[in-house]
Amino acid sequence: MNYPFWDIPHLGSGWVIGLIAIFHVMISQFAVGGGLYLPMAERKAQRMTDPVMRAEWLKQLVNHSKFFLLLTGVFGTVSGVGIWFAIGLTHPEATSTLIHNFVFGWAMEWVFFLVELTTIAVYYSTWNRIDPKLHLKVGWVYAVASVFTLIIINGILTFMLTPGDAWLAVAGTGREAGKFWEAFFNPTYWPGLLLRVGVCTSLAGIWALITSSRIDGDKQPALKTSLVQWSVKWLMPSFVATPLLLLWYLFMVPQSQRALLTLGIDTIGAGTFSAVTRIALIIVITSATIVGVAYYLAYRNPVEFNLSHAVSVLLLALIATGSGEYAREMLRKPYVIGNWMYSNGVRVTYVDRLNQQGYLTHSLWTWNGAGNGPASSYSRGEAIFRGECASCHTMGGYRSLRLLLDGRDRAGIGNFLVMLHDYKPDSPYRRFMPPLVGTRQDVDDLTNYLNTQVNPPAPKKPLLTAQK
Amino acid sequence: MTSKTITTSAYEWVDERLGLSELAAFARHKTVPVHSQSFWYYWGGISLFLFLVQCFTGVLLLVYYRPGAEAYESVRQITFVMHFGWLIRSAHSWSANLMLFAIFVHMFSVFFMKAYRKPREFGWLSGMALLGLATVFGFSGYLLPMDELSYFATKVGLEIPVAIPFIGPVIADMLRGGPEVSEFTVQRFFALHVVVLPALFLPLLGFHLWLVQRYGNAVPPREESKPLSERKNIPFMPSFLRKDLAMWLISLNILALLASVFPWTLGKQADALSPAPLGIHPEWYFMSPFEMLKLLGNWLPGEFGEIAGLLLFSLGIALWVLIPFYDSTRESGQRGRTAHYFGLVAVILLLATTAIGYWTIR
Repeated sequence: MNYPFWDIPHLGSGWVIGLIAIFHVMISQFAVGGGLYLPMAERKAQRMTDPVMRAEWLKQLVNHSKFFLLLTGVFGTVSGVGIWFAIGLTHPEATSTLIHNFVFGWAMEWVFFLVELTTIAVYYSTWNRIDPKLHLKVGWVYAVASVFTLIIINGILTFMLTPGDAWLAVAGTGREAGKFWEAFFNPTYWPGLLLRVGVCTSLAGIWALITSSRIDGDKQPALKTSLVQWSVKWLMPSFVATPLLLLWYLFMVPQSQRALLTLGIDTIGAGTFSAVTRIALIIVITSATIVGVAYYLAYRNPVEFNLSHAVSVLLLALIATGSGEYAREMLRKPYVIGNWMYSNGVRVTYVDRLNQQGYLTHSLWTWNGAGNGPASSYSRGEAIFRGECASCHTMGGYRSLRLLLDGRDRAGIGNFLVMLHDYKPDSPYRRFMPPLVGTRQDVDDLTNYLNTQVNPPAPKKPLLTAQK
Repeated sequence: MTSKTITTSAYEWVDERLGLSELAAFARHKTVPVHSQSFWYYWGGISLFLFLVQCFTGVLLLVYYRPGAEAYESVRQITFVMHFGWLIRSAHSWSANLMLFAIFVHMFSVFFMKAYRKPREFGWLSGMALLGLATVFGFSGYLLPMDELSYFATKVGLEIPVAIPFIGPVIADMLRGGPEVSEFTVQRFFALHVVVLPALFLPLLGFHLWLVQRYGNAVPPREESKPLSERKNIPFMPSFLRKDLAMWLISLNILALLASVFPWTLGKQADALSPAPLGIHPEWYFMSPFEMLKLLGNWLPGEFGEIAGLLLFSLGIALWVLIPFYDSTRESGQRGRTAHYFGLVAVILLLATTAIGYWTIR
């Protein structure tokens, strides 16, 4: 609408964000959970009565903190900037709304982020160089700063799912920032925060298993046993609390968005409309597997626990985290900001206006019929496809429209688009797709464009002489 | 009688007849070596697990699948009408692909650990035969939905044996059940897929597993050169078994993720009269040989090129299969290194030709 469109063929813009986000979440949530793990492990080591074991624990923690610093300080930071870059390009409308509402929130996050980066560098470089008590305090400062980054970003992430009635009442009036705290502490804020804290502590344990698995079990069996078993315990709180927190979270999600989940449950037998439900089931299966595998491979056999086992547990965590983030994104459908902006950037309150005046009339960066631009309705159709469909669909790759519309002729495609345009209350597509907005001409142009893509004209038959 | 006494009596009754105690004693004494390369030991077990998944899902698909003229319609019903049919079909297809991947990893790990040397020659040969059968399982199963892609890919695939002099066309005709791929081909491939291949695969698999039990896990040459006192072992029961089962569970998770998030699609019904759609290509595990033959065909054009390509390719496979007989020495020397380089070349060739194959799909 107000911004140019970034075309990503085959992969689709959603996956650009998704791939960076899954990678980032695995590291950034480790940055928070690991931030708690390090000072707690250091405190435990300092209180040990056996001097040999204490020295071995502290030596291992030096190694772990180096790994932690490199992973979170380098890859976590770079991928975090990558997310900003990606969402700005793929969802400029939504990013603009977030910036206009939460610029103060992000300023606070950057302060804590700078404290985080500084303290972790100080923490690692001052091992055995300053008083142990002071060193531990540096670790706690890092832990508090990193928890605060989560406290802030969780407000913005949960806002996108449930902005809350107070913010929605002023949305579009220019007074949105006045409802900052209502939008921040929105209905899913607290269950969302506690769920993420659980994931953070679990990831702290799982990443710690990576470094603990490198300890030579033959040479240091006692050290390896104690560290591996202690790290496994970090997985427990979240796995006990997660089912209850998840129920609380879903209870706070508006009925309109829970509908996608219930639709998925109703249709999972046939496999239609059930992507989010299937993903939710994957989270349950994988989380249960992590507990089982961590218990049998690590807790019961700590000395034999090796890097390949630890990487396997990490891989499972990657699946669970990726599925969780995907399910959260899907639950937001058909919106990118709940009840305010559809996933293709169209504001809910603009639908009637766009239906009357046309979609392209309000698309500043696309063809509008003026000047010396092409007069073909296919070009108009393609512009509408890019603006209204391509934030979720590609033509030949992810959620391929060629595949989804396969078998329909022009009339069939047209009827389907009219159904999306009419957006009747009983349409199942309402639960996860935005309405198709625009005039009758817009729908026709899009139909023509999609028809040429789905049913391309047959190639001309070669002349018989040419065959010879 | 208490329940404990009943259980003990029942166990003794069965034990007396089947010798369960001997099996338990064998399992107790069996050990598995532990070293830096132990991770590769899991891949045989993962292949076995995925095969079991295929047996289970295959039997369920068999309940509704109808070979012959109704093949496509029955797969359409399984995918879109039967409750959870989409999941079972998807799990069957994904596990087939994952199993072949696991077998390839298993084969290369066995190769580089030199686990084909005396006395494990039969283990290697039976493993190679199992891999060969698994690819035929894949090829025959691929046609069964009879959609556009499977139809044309099978049509192209069956043109390869035609290049074999004299017997090639006869073999191709026999597999097709006529001059063209048709419902008779589906019938024949179905019989191959659910009767002939399992009848060959299962006893061979039993033999392979028996050999593994008999000779145990081989260790890589570097580990072998260590004195016995420095080598480390863990008991199979319960330590290794527990880890093996954990790996099975992880494999199940990956399978569940792929099968449920990326369900296996069903294309348009095959129509022999319509032109072949763009992008027809063999499955990934046939891409490398397909591409190698294509490249050799470009290099040596004409019928001579086809025959020379097939001969060269067959020679490569023969050299690979017969490795235990010309790299049999236990001492690491020039002969051992040559085999090692041969393995590396094979891996690079396999990956490179597969990549080129996908890169040049039209």
